[in-house]
Amino acid sequence: MATRLKCNDTIPERDAHIIIKGDGTGCSIKSNSATTPGDMTERGCTYAGCRGVVGGPVKDAIQLSHGPIGCAFYSWGYRPHVADTDFHMKYTFVSDMDESNVVFGGEKKLLQSVIEAAAEFPDAKGVFVYNTCTAALIGDDGKDVAKMAQEEIGKPVVFFACEGFRGVSQSQGHHVGNETIFRNLVGSVEPEEDYAYSINILGDYNIKNDIKTFEPLFQALGLKIITRFTGNVSVDELKIMHKAKLNVIHCTRSATYIADMMKDKYGTPSISVTLWGIANMSKALRETAAFFGLEKEAERVIKTEVAKVQPKIDHFKKRLAGKKVIIYQGGPRAWHWPELLEELGMEVIGAATTFGHHDDYEKIYSKVGDGTLIMDNPNVPELEEILRTYKPDIFIAGNKEKYLAYKLGVPFLNGHTYETGPYAGFSGMVNFARDLDKALSAPVWKLVRDQARPSPVSTLDLEEDVA
Amino acid sequence: MTTTVIKQKRAVAINPIRACAPIGAMLATFGIHGAITINHGSQGCATYPRHQMARHFREPIEVATTSLTENTTIYGGRENLVVGLKNLYERFHPTLITVCSTCLSETIGDDIPAFIDEFLDNNPEVTIPILSVRTPSYVGTHITGFDNFLKELALKLPRKSRPNGKVNVIPGWVNPGDLREIKHILREMDIPGLVLTDYSDTLDGGLYSPKPHFPRGGNTLDELKDSANAKGTIALQKHIGGEAAKVYNKRFGTPAHILPMPIGIANTDKFIETLTLLTGKPITEEIEAERARLLDALMDTHMFTTGVKVAIFGDPDLVEGLVRLVAEMGMEPKYVLTATDSVNWSKDLMALSDELGLDMEILVKSDLYALHKKMKAHPVDLLIGHSKGKYIAEEENIPMIRLGFPVEDRYGYHRRSVVGYQGATALVDEITNAVLERKGSVISNTLLLEGNC
Repeated sequence: MATRLKCNDTIPERDAHIIIKGDGTGCSIKSNSATTPGDMTERGCTYAGCRGVVGGPVKDAIQLSHGPIGCAFYSWGYRPHVADTDFHMKYTFVSDMDESNVVFGGEKKLLQSVIEAAAEFPDAKGVFVYNTCTAALIGDDGKDVAKMAQEEIGKPVVFFACEGFRGVSQSQGHHVGNETIFRNLVGSVEPEEDYAYSINILGDYNIKNDIKTFEPLFQALGLKIITRFTGNVSVDELKIMHKAKLNVIHCTRSATYIADMMKDKYGTPSISVTLWGIANMSKALRETAAFFGLEKEAERVIKTEVAKVQPKIDHFKKRLAGKKVIIYQGGPRAWHWPELLEELGMEVIGAATTFGHHDDYEKIYSKVGDGTLIMDNPNVPELEEILRTYKPDIFIAGNKEKYLAYKLGVPFLNGHTYETGPYAGFSGMVNFARDLDKALSAPVWKLVRDQARPSPVSTLDLEEDVA
Repeated sequence: MTTTVIKQKRAVAINPIRACAPIGAMLATFGIHGAITINHGSQGCATYPRHQMARHFREPIEVATTSLTENTTIYGGRENLVVGLKNLYERFHPTLITVCSTCLSETIGDDIPAFIDEFLDNNPEVTIPILSVRTPSYVGTHITGFDNFLKELALKLPRKSRPNGKVNVIPGWVNPGDLREIKHILREMDIPGLVLTDYSDTLDGGLYSPKPHFPRGGNTLDELKDSANAKGTIALQKHIGGEAAKVYNKRFGTPAHILPMPIGIANTDKFIETLTLLTGKPITEEIEAERARLLDALMDTHMFTTGVKVAIFGDPDLVEGLVRLVAEMGMEPKYVLTATDSVNWSKDLMALSDELGLDMEILVKSDLYALHKKMKAHPVDLLIGHSKGKYIAEEENIPMIRLGFPVEDRYGYHRRSVVGYQGATALVDEITNAVLERKGSVISNTLLLEGNC
């Protein structure tokens, strides 16, 4: 049932976005709808979801924004979606529209920009063009320009219609990114190799090298990962992703679109997995292996690998048990992570997402206990209020919320881009537990709680001191 | 002298050094106690700058957005702004609201001042000032937004009454550490001053329990109103605050002094002299001692810095100030780069080059890729600029001095100061140590390469 926070007395429309599990009304939360203006939302835009999340990690594409400077500057190099090369982190490109381009159109400048960028970086395998509000509003036909540019440079020039005002959050940008990559690249070449035992990992962006934790596990089953969508992936790998026998979807919010399109066109089946946590990672290996009849291999890998990390996890579990957590993530992590927090003996008392859809909230609802607070698109005053009233032992959210938590004296873990990381797979679970422990047991919290101050009037006997 | 000015010819910008206008108005707004910005545009136009500032200042960066979407883009953003202002006012109770425009709201032609008037007419209980600042990304850079905000503030807030004996100082885009240094100088010279806007505490706040609703610090509205009654206004950056100083001059007849950023001996001297000129206050012993320590530091280090070649990029006034400081250190600025398209800036840099006998390439409205190409062709020993320069420094294996905005890959740089004699002394030490830490040599590697030593 809708729940009122005190800070929402003047905007009761926010009540529908906040529920408590177990009041008998079910998962009736409102989501994926327009943000209340001026409520101090944490949401970003469609461009951010497309350029920042889905397209940005592609390591050998020229990342070119079509618009004025700002979007390209802010989206450059801050999200640690690393790869084995760093071209995509080191360089950002922008058609840098100025006032005259706004008045007279920016198509010519875009065309010239693509050609110049491709000439400067001949090793790049294609150009990704991201549209912005300005270019869309003045009616630039970026798609047409991309077509012309592609003929000119002889490499894929992929145009993403991801202007910031489309949709209600960055979630729309994931959708645009999926569709555009599918239509423009997937299936554009037909290699003759044997792909009998091959999978794609969808919806993993290789934040701080997450892939290194789970890729060897799948390989140990005897499986080949053709394409990672899109962490540590090349343009050429995107072109052949239709050859995989199975799509393994990690982030279902940002990558189910392409799995569905591949199912329709190529009949590729998919499974949804969680690659964080011991139980979830084991389950992911088992389900993937079952598809290929590799059950025995899965059990062997799980047994060996879990044995390596279990003592360390047991160590941290003793230290973390009973701690209360509020988790606020972009989307699925808010339902992926309650289970692994439980594995560590912790309790989720609140879960929220920035851009989750109803299916995300149903999954959260099914995974948390009665009395848990569930929120959609929380804003700054709401976050401050729940941190004050629910008093979690630790808050898991993103970089923007980190300093709010710190100012309130609440231990914090960056779940978006990780503190140290990586957190996925079996070995990542140790990093996750260790970072949680660091966050909770740092000496600073005792210093803060003690509220010790130098006495305003000296209590020392100075003369005696000197003597 | 062979100093030349080079303007970028490429259409595509590769690794730009500049952000866009709204972030400047947001930063300036943080210098007013209890003030908040609402960005009239797509959500990203608020969220991206918030991310960027959080990575530099490591503080909560609260900015609201009107969350324009497809429908509002077609029908105009009036409803979202009017509702957004009401929601923000009722929940946050700010002392002042800045409304930033964006590419989106400017392109669809939203009449923001009219929407604000409508909001105020319909909500007579709202008596706080609401400033409208034009900040589309396609005009100027992040400094344009800051400058436009100050102009708007100077036009709307000051109220003439009795002389207050103060000096208005507009530092421009600097760090909290710089603001503290400027306030230290004023305090030391016993000059009552108003630094506008003052985000030294709001963006470098301590930990207080319970957390105050508004961060501590910042200018109060009364102080800003009273700024009309100052003895004069000193702008410490030509590209930010100069225009506002002129507005004060025009509206209230008080003198406006637009100075180079006080980095290094000569520029800081100018600032101190202007302060004594405006107030008649003498230069104190402590200020003399700070200047003497800077001279001492320059003397101690000059054998290691003379002839060291350096590339500098960043905001125009910062770069101009740094050129003077590194020249005072005997270093050779080879490439200086700014993203701002300013004819006056390149003229000033040419004049500076003539005065100091430098031989450099001045890159105007340029980007880091252009600078990198230059540095590959003719190497330098040291790079000075913000964090985005790290890719060049890493690839060329040269030391880098992090300066300007953003410094997002290190902690605490926002607490440092580069202005005043003390700021320069710290910077002289840092630069010298960076040169000394170069592997295998305590002297310039390019000098070794050229066989000049």
